Amino acid sequence: MPQSRRLVLCVDDEAVGLQVRRMILERSGYSVLTAQDGPTGLKIFAENPVEAVVLDYSMPGMNGGQVAAQMRERKPQVPILLLSAYMAIPADLVGLVDISMTKGEGPPMLLQKLDSLFSN
Amino acid sequence: MNLSQLNRVLLQTLLIPVVALMFVAAILSLQIENAERTVAQMRKADNNIATATLVSVLMVNEESGLRGYQITSNEIFLQPYDYSQVPLDNALHELRDGLTQQGSDPSAVDDFIMAHNVWRNSFAAPLIAATSAGQNTRDSGLNLRGKAQMEALSDRLNNIVETQKTQRTLIGDTWQRQVRETLEILIALALIIGLAIGFFARSRLHQVSAAFQATLASLRLNAQRTYESEQRLRTTLTSIGDGVIVCDIDGIIELLNLVAQQLTGWSQAEAVHKPLEEVFRIVHETTREPLETPFAMVKKQQRVINLSSHALLLRRDGSELNVDDSGAPIHDRSGRLVGVVMVFRDITEQLRSQAALLATEKLAVAGRLAATLAHEIHNPLDAVGNLLYLMKDGATPEESTQFLQLASQELDRVTQISRAMLGMYRESKTPVAVDVKDMLESVLLLLNRQMSQLQLEVRTDFASNASVTGYPVELRQVFINLLSNAADASTQGGIIAVRTKLRSAVRSGKTGGRQAGVEITISDNGVGISDAALPQVFQPFFTTKGEHGTGLGLWVSHGIIEKHSGTIEIESSTDEQNHGTRITVFLPRLDS
Repeated sequence: MPQSRRLVLCVDDEAVGLQVRRMILERSGYSVLTAQDGPTGLKIFAENPVEAVVLDYSMPGMNGGQVAAQMRERKPQVPILLLSAYMAIPADLVGLVDISMTKGEGPPMLLQKLDSLFSN
Repeated sequence: MNLSQLNRVLLQTLLIPVVALMFVAAILSLQIENAERTVAQMRKADNNIATATLVSVLMVNEESGLRGYQITSNEIFLQPYDYSQVPLDNALHELRDGLTQQGSDPSAVDDFIMAHNVWRNSFAAPLIAATSAGQNTRDSGLNLRGKAQMEALSDRLNNIVETQKTQRTLIGDTWQRQVRETLEILIALALIIGLAIGFFARSRLHQVSAAFQATLASLRLNAQRTYESEQRLRTTLTSIGDGVIVCDIDGIIELLNLVAQQLTGWSQAEAVHKPLEEVFRIVHETTREPLETPFAMVKKQQRVINLSSHALLLRRDGSELNVDDSGAPIHDRSGRLVGVVMVFRDITEQLRSQAALLATEKLAVAGRLAATLAHEIHNPLDAVGNLLYLMKDGATPEESTQFLQLASQELDRVTQISRAMLGMYRESKTPVAVDVKDMLESVLLLLNRQMSQLQLEVRTDFASNASVTGYPVELRQVFINLLSNAADASTQGGIIAVRTKLRSAVRSGKTGGRQAGVEITISDNGVGISDAALPQVFQPFFTTKGEHGTGLGLWVSHGIIEKHSGTIEIESSTDEQNHGTRITVFLPRLDS
């Protein structure tokens, strides 16, 4: 359990998925900001002291890869966790983000991976 | 040399000898006439000689009668004298006429007659009178004068005879000369005419012979060419990869090439002179009804016939082959139908490859959808998993109710997707009524992810109660293809419009009208298709997507729409202001 509530940004176009993920993270002690598309996510990312980002890869318009690249340009120190419903994520993206995982691996795995971003 | 020339030559060679012979005959008859005239002359001379001889005999009778009477004074002895008088005068007249007719001078006879009369009056008459009176008649002077007169008369007569004989000899010579001349003329003419005819005939025959040789040579050449051409055609026929059967006008087989023999299972020797229906038996591949042979159709329509590829050839051994066949009429010079050539080939392999291609394309469509589907199923399942986690972790009853509602909502999404996906594979065996609106909506659901990723706006305008008759799986495949193409061609933020419109039946005399059905229009404002590429889009393996396309989508779609008796049309523009593509599909609603 983190000592202070860390601010995490979740970006996903899936409304229900995003809502549920927010609940899980909040129950685990994170403060959560959400965005339903890339441009909104980038705006929130720029305006708030976000400490980590949980980013969906497959989104209409800007995909997760494009959003991650712009975030890296602005605040390279903020860790990014890339989620995907796809089985495989393009190879060049794997190096860009800190951790990537497939949706459906379950909340414990998500929390564990997110937690590991801060312990490094 | 043509036939009329030949006839003229033949007529010439026939007529010229006839004319020559007539000429010879004319000359010969002229000569014979001359000879006859000569012979007549000769006969006249002979007559004159004979008459002169008669005169001589009568004169002797006259004198001997006179002498007898003179010696005996018996009047009986004077009879020869008396009897000779009239014949003698007649003979002398005859002789005179003979000479006149002969053209000789009759004066010798006149002189003779005068001298004879002198003898008769100055000698004979006084002697008879003296004797009758019983006077002495032995006066030697008188007798000597009488004798001298008689001798002179004899001399005169002899002269006449001699002259006639000489004349006769001359005439005889003339006759002989004439005969010789005739012979000579005959021989000369025969020689000249013979040679002339010979040369003429030779020259003409030479012409005929030359013409005959030329004709013979050209005939031989033609025969050679015909043989070569026949061999060439025969070799072509036997070498080509398609089966070829040639029939006469009654449908009796004249020739089967090697491929036709292999395909039908009949050898040339067995099949020849047999009716076509016995060797080339075809039935419809599904109904198995006997099909009309190309021969019958060509005979009926008198033109080249191409038949659809639904024919099944029943081979001699009982096995079956899918064949594609066509027939063409054979006409003679006057345009009369004298036979039919049938060409057919085994398309079993082709149909198999086509089926394989169709299967491949179906898999490709599934593959294209796989990523989308994974995403569409994975996302709700992830949400459901997370909701279950929250409930397990401890939730208030209100929260639980909310979570369950959310979970059920997400599971509905999965069910919808899986149902749409199943619609892609569960095919019915017979055509059924298909609701176009339902079908298009489920297809759009499958493609939703792809569309939204590109931020494409899909505008729909579906007519209600729009139903067509067909195979739903195949139609879904068509619209997946068409909509994927529209999405692939679009740029971010593009618009795809899908509209359906009911079309009522239209009757038209010329084309037989159009059935009632539904017109589906899919238009995009994407990059468009270039004019160069547009005519090829329905060809297999043609793609503008590089490695991302199979090039089979539109080809398969076209085939499926054709199978549904519908039409598919494409319009496109790459114009900067107004680019985009519009595809219009018409599907008929068949009356059950």
